[in-house]
Amino acid sequence: MADEDETKEYRWESGYEKTWEAIKEDDDGLLESNVADLVARAKRKRAALKATGAIQLGMMRHLFVVVDASACMFLQDLKPTRFLCVLKLLEVFVHEFFDLNPISQLGILTTKMKRSEQITVLAGNQKKHIEALQQLKDLSCEGEPSLQNSLERAMNGLKNMPAHSSREILVLFGSLTTCDPGDIQKTIKALKDNNIRVSIIGLAAEVRICREIAKKTGGTYNVLIDDHHLKELILSQVQPPAVAGSLEASLVKMGFPGGTPSVNDGTSDSSADHAPAYCLCHIDSETSSLMGPNGYNCPQCGSRYCELPVECKQCGLTLVSAPHLARSYHHLFPIKPFMERAQVPDTTHCFACAKLFLEAETNVYECENCHQIVCLDCDLFIRETLHTCPGCASDPVTAQMKTN
Amino acid sequence: MLELKRALDAKGHCLLEMPSGTGKTTTLLSLIVAYMKAHPLDLTKLVYCSRTVPEIEKVMEELRKLMNYYEKEMGMEQNILGLALSSRKNLCIHPSVSKEREGKVVDGRCYSLTASFVRARHAADDAVPICEFYEGFDAHGKEFPLPPGVYNLDDLKEYGQTKRWCPYFLARHTITHANIVVYSYHYLLDPKIAEVVSKEISKSSVVVFDEAHNIDNVCIDSMSVKITKRLLDKCSNSITILETTISNMKENDSKRLEKEYKRLVEGLRDATIARETDMALVNPVLPSEILEEAVPGTIRTAEHFVAFLKRVVEYIKTRLRVQHVVQESPAGFLRDIHTKVCIDRKPLRFTAERLASLIRTLEISDLTDFSPLVTVSHFATLVSTYTKGFTIIIEPFEDRAPTVSNPILYFSCLDSSIAIKPVFNRFQTVVITSGTLSPLDMYPKILDFHPVIMTSFTMTLARPCILPMIVSKGNDQVAMSSRYETREDTAVIRNYGNLLVEVAAAVPDGIVCFFTSYLYLETIVSSWYDQGIIDQLQRHKLLFIETQDAAETSLALINYIKACDNGRGAVLLSVARGKVSEGIDFDHHLGRAVLMFGIPYVYTQSRILRARLEYLRDQFQIRENDFLTFDAMRHAAQCLGRCMRGKTDYGIMVLADKRFSRADKRSKLPKWIQEHLKDTNCNLSTEECVQICKRWLRQMAQPFSREDQLGISLLTLEQLQSEEMQKKILQRAQGV
Repeated sequence: MADEDETKEYRWESGYEKTWEAIKEDDDGLLESNVADLVARAKRKRAALKATGAIQLGMMRHLFVVVDASACMFLQDLKPTRFLCVLKLLEVFVHEFFDLNPISQLGILTTKMKRSEQITVLAGNQKKHIEALQQLKDLSCEGEPSLQNSLERAMNGLKNMPAHSSREILVLFGSLTTCDPGDIQKTIKALKDNNIRVSIIGLAAEVRICREIAKKTGGTYNVLIDDHHLKELILSQVQPPAVAGSLEASLVKMGFPGGTPSVNDGTSDSSADHAPAYCLCHIDSETSSLMGPNGYNCPQCGSRYCELPVECKQCGLTLVSAPHLARSYHHLFPIKPFMERAQVPDTTHCFACAKLFLEAETNVYECENCHQIVCLDCDLFIRETLHTCPGCASDPVTAQMKTN
Repeated sequence: MLELKRALDAKGHCLLEMPSGTGKTTTLLSLIVAYMKAHPLDLTKLVYCSRTVPEIEKVMEELRKLMNYYEKEMGMEQNILGLALSSRKNLCIHPSVSKEREGKVVDGRCYSLTASFVRARHAADDAVPICEFYEGFDAHGKEFPLPPGVYNLDDLKEYGQTKRWCPYFLARHTITHANIVVYSYHYLLDPKIAEVVSKEISKSSVVVFDEAHNIDNVCIDSMSVKITKRLLDKCSNSITILETTISNMKENDSKRLEKEYKRLVEGLRDATIARETDMALVNPVLPSEILEEAVPGTIRTAEHFVAFLKRVVEYIKTRLRVQHVVQESPAGFLRDIHTKVCIDRKPLRFTAERLASLIRTLEISDLTDFSPLVTVSHFATLVSTYTKGFTIIIEPFEDRAPTVSNPILYFSCLDSSIAIKPVFNRFQTVVITSGTLSPLDMYPKILDFHPVIMTSFTMTLARPCILPMIVSKGNDQVAMSSRYETREDTAVIRNYGNLLVEVAAAVPDGIVCFFTSYLYLETIVSSWYDQGIIDQLQRHKLLFIETQDAAETSLALINYIKACDNGRGAVLLSVARGKVSEGIDFDHHLGRAVLMFGIPYVYTQSRILRARLEYLRDQFQIRENDFLTFDAMRHAAQCLGRCMRGKTDYGIMVLADKRFSRADKRSKLPKWIQEHLKDTNCNLSTEECVQICKRWLRQMAQPFSREDQLGISLLTLEQLQSEEMQKKILQRAQGV
C-alpha cells in the first residue's frame, strides 16, 4: 500500500476516472479473465513495438542528456517533484543505456536561469554519471530554461565525434517556455547540418518549438501522461535508433587493448604495457589522477586508459573489449515477434519455464522458427532480457541456421 | 452537403452553421460547381461573398484546387471561369496610382484618368494624362473574354500586366459572364456600390455569404450615415467649388448645362427600362416610383440645385448646434426641414441622383474632395425615402467626453432587412453560412426572410479537440463576472488575473484573451499592474495588447506570432468585437487557449442601439434582452472559434464569467462547442480549471496520426462505399 501511495497522486488531485467503462463482463458474468487479458495485452503491445526488422542501427552512440532545471521542475505533478522523479528515472536510464549500448558514450547537461551547465562530459563510465545524477538532487531549480544554449553546448560537444557514430541529444523539458539569446532556427539548422538527432520528452504539454526541433532533426517528441508513461518514454530512448540515411556502411577501425596485468600470460607484447603510467582519462583532472599499473593500453599508440570503451585521445582509435561488441550484437538481429496462439492441444506446458498451462489460458506464443510454445511471461522475458529464443538455441538445427 | 442540395433544388435560401476548419468552403464550392455542371440551365453563376481580402484569396485557392482535381479526374480543360474582385486599391497596376495607400484616393485618381470626358479631352489634347491600361482594355479587352480558369487578385494583375489591360475594369467587365465570382459583401449589400458592380448578375445565381455572423451589422452600416461638423465644413467648400465651376461654365459652354436640363426633364427613363427587364438590382436608395418621375423643377437648373444644397447643409449645421441629445424620426425631420427652410420632401429625394448628374456635367475629375458632399446627398435621399426603419440621433458630445463639443448626426438604419431584401428577392438561392450562427432562429427574424433549410452541423472528430470550460469563481470562491456592479471590484479583477497567470503557466505557446471593451481592458491591465499580476505573467510568457490603433495592433500581432514560433510563448490581450476577434486566426500553437473575460455585451447605453432594440421589439417581437444576449453570445463564440482551425488543431476555451453557465447563455453557443461542454465543466474554480487543462493538454500532445482519424473523421473511398457507412449516411439524411 505504501508503495502505491508514493507513485500515485492523491485521489483529490486526480480527475474522475471512469475505470468501469474499460471493463466488460465475460460470458459467465465474470470480470477476472477480462482484467488479466487487458494487462497482458498492454504488456505485449509494448514488447511488440520494440521488435523491428533488420535495419541499420547506429550502434555507436554519443548522447547528451539535457535536464531542465528551471523553476517549473519543482512542480509536484510527478512525485515527489518533477525534478527528483526525472533524476531517478535517469539513473535507471543510464544503467540500461550502457547495458544495451556498451560502445556508446553519454554526457549530462542541465539548463536553468537562462544558462546551461555541463554536469558530466561525454564518457562511457556509467558510475560517474550515476554519481553525478545523485549529486544533482540537491540542486535548486530556478529561473527559466534555455533550449538554445543547451543545444548549442551539446552540439559543441558532439560536433567532433566521428562520422560513423550516431550523435544524439535527449532533452527532458518540463518548462513551457524557453528563454533564448538568439534565433533558435539557426541552431536547429546547425544541428541538422551536423547530423545530430534531438529527441525531446515534454513533461507538461506540447510545445511547438520542441516539436519542430524534433521533426527537423529526425528525433522524436513525446509528452508524458503520468510517471509510468514517462519511464516508458525515457527507456524507449535506450534502443539504438535507425540510422538516418546519410550514414554509409563502413568499416570502423577498432582497437582491442590487452588484458589487465593480473593476466600476465605473455600475450601482451611488452612489459611496458604494465609499467605504472598516468591514465589519459584522468590526466586533466587535478584531483584524482591515477597512476598505477592497471589499465588498458591503446594497441596503436600505447596510451593508457583506465576504462573501456573509450576513444583514444592520442590517436583517435576506438578502444573496446570483445564482450562489449558481443553485447550489442542482439540489436542487429532482434528475434522475430512470436505468434499469438490459441491453446494448442498437444502442449501442456511452457517450453521455457515448464509452467503448466491452465485451461483458461488464452495467450500462448509460438516461435516462428522452432515452433516451441511459451507463456506470456516468458515471451516478455525473452524479448526484453534474453534476446534469444531458448527453443532455437537448444535445437542444434535452428541454432546452426541462425549463426549462418 | 445534403442540406445544401435540398436548398438548391428548392431554389430557396438556407442558413448553415458549420464549425470553422472543417472544409466549409470546399464543401460549398464543390457542390455548387457540380450542380452548375449538372444543371447548367437552372444555375448559371455562383457569387461567393467573403469578408476580407485574405479570405477572398483563400476561397480562390480552394477553387483552384477543386478545378485542378476536376481536370485530373475528367482529363480535360474545364470550361469554368472563376474570378476575384476587389477594390481599385488592390487591383490597380498603374505605376503611380497604385502607390497610393488610401482606397478613396486611388478611386479618385483612377476616375481622373479614366472618366469619359477626360479621355475625350485627351483625344483633343495629348497633354491631358490618361491611364494606358484602361485605354488598352477599352480598345481590345472588351472583345476578348478572359480564358477559362481561376484568377485571384494577383493573377488578374499579372494578366493585366502582360496584356497591358486594366485588371480592375477587366474584372468588372468579366463578372457578367464569369461562372464564379468571389468578392466582398459590400459589392452586393451596399446599395451604392451594388448599383455599379453587381447590376448585371442574372437571377439564376447562387449567392453565398461566408463568415456571415455579422451580416445584419454590415447591412445596417451600409445604409447608415454619420455626419460630423467637419464633414459639413468640407461640404461648404465643395459647394463653393461647384458654384465657381458653374459660373465658369456658364460663360464658356452654356450649351452643356442646357443639355443636362433637358435630360432631367425627360426623367430617368433609361433606368426604368433597365428595371423592367429585371436585370438591375433594385436600388433601395432609389425606389422605383422616383424613376418614373422627372426631377422636380426646383432643382433642375444647376444654380438652383447648388443653392438648394447650400440650404440643406446650412440647415443640418443649425441642427447640429444643440446642447442636448435629440432623437427623431425621419418624418419629424422632414417636417422640421420644411417649416424651417422650406424644403419639400420631393426634391430631397432626388438629391443624390441630381448631384451625380451635375458632377458628370461639370466634368470634375477629382472626386476625392466631393465625398463629404456625396455623403450628405445620400443622407438627404435616404431620409426622404424611408420613413420607417430609420432614426435620426443628434449627439452634441461624446458620452466619454461630455465637456468637449463634438456634435454628430447619426442617421441610423434600424432594420437590417432593408439592405439585404433586394438580394433575397433577386437571387434564387442565398446561402448564409459561418462557424458561429447560433442561435439560428434569430437570423431569419432580423433579416426578414424565410429559409427553406436551417441547420447547425457539428464536427465528427476522432478526439475531443476542444475543451470549453466555464470558470465561475476564483480560488477564494469569489464569483467572477464582468457584471456592471462587480466590474470595479478588486477581488474580481484579481481573480481574473490569477486565472490568467495560472493558465499561462500550464498552457504552452500562445494564449489569446478577450475582454468586453477597450475601456475594461485598460482598467484591468492597470490594476493588474498595481497588483503585481503583470510581473507574474511575464515570468511565463510575453505580453501583448491590442489597441485601437491598427498599426500598433498589427505590430503587436507580428511579435506575438514570433514569440509563439520560437518557443518563448506569449499572451495577447484583445477585445471582443475588435480587429483581432474578427478575421485573424490563431491556429495550432498560436492559440492553444482562448480566455473570454466577461460576456461581451454591446455598450447598452448607446442611443443607436437602444433605438434599434426598440424597433426590433416593435417590428419583429424580439425582446431586448434576447437580442442583447444573442449578440453577446455570437461574439463570444466568434472569439472562442478563433483557436480552432482544423481537425488536427486543438485548443482550450475558457469562459470566465459566472453568467455563462446559465441556460439562456449556454444554449446560445454553437452546437459544436456545446457538444463538448460537459456539465461537470460548467462551474469551475481557477484551480480546477488549471488541473483539467493540464491533464487534457497531455492527452492532446500524444501522437495523433492520420490513421487514428481514418474511419471516424476521415474516410477512404472504400470505407465511404462500404455498406455500413452508406446506411449511416442514409439514416442521418432521413433523421434531419
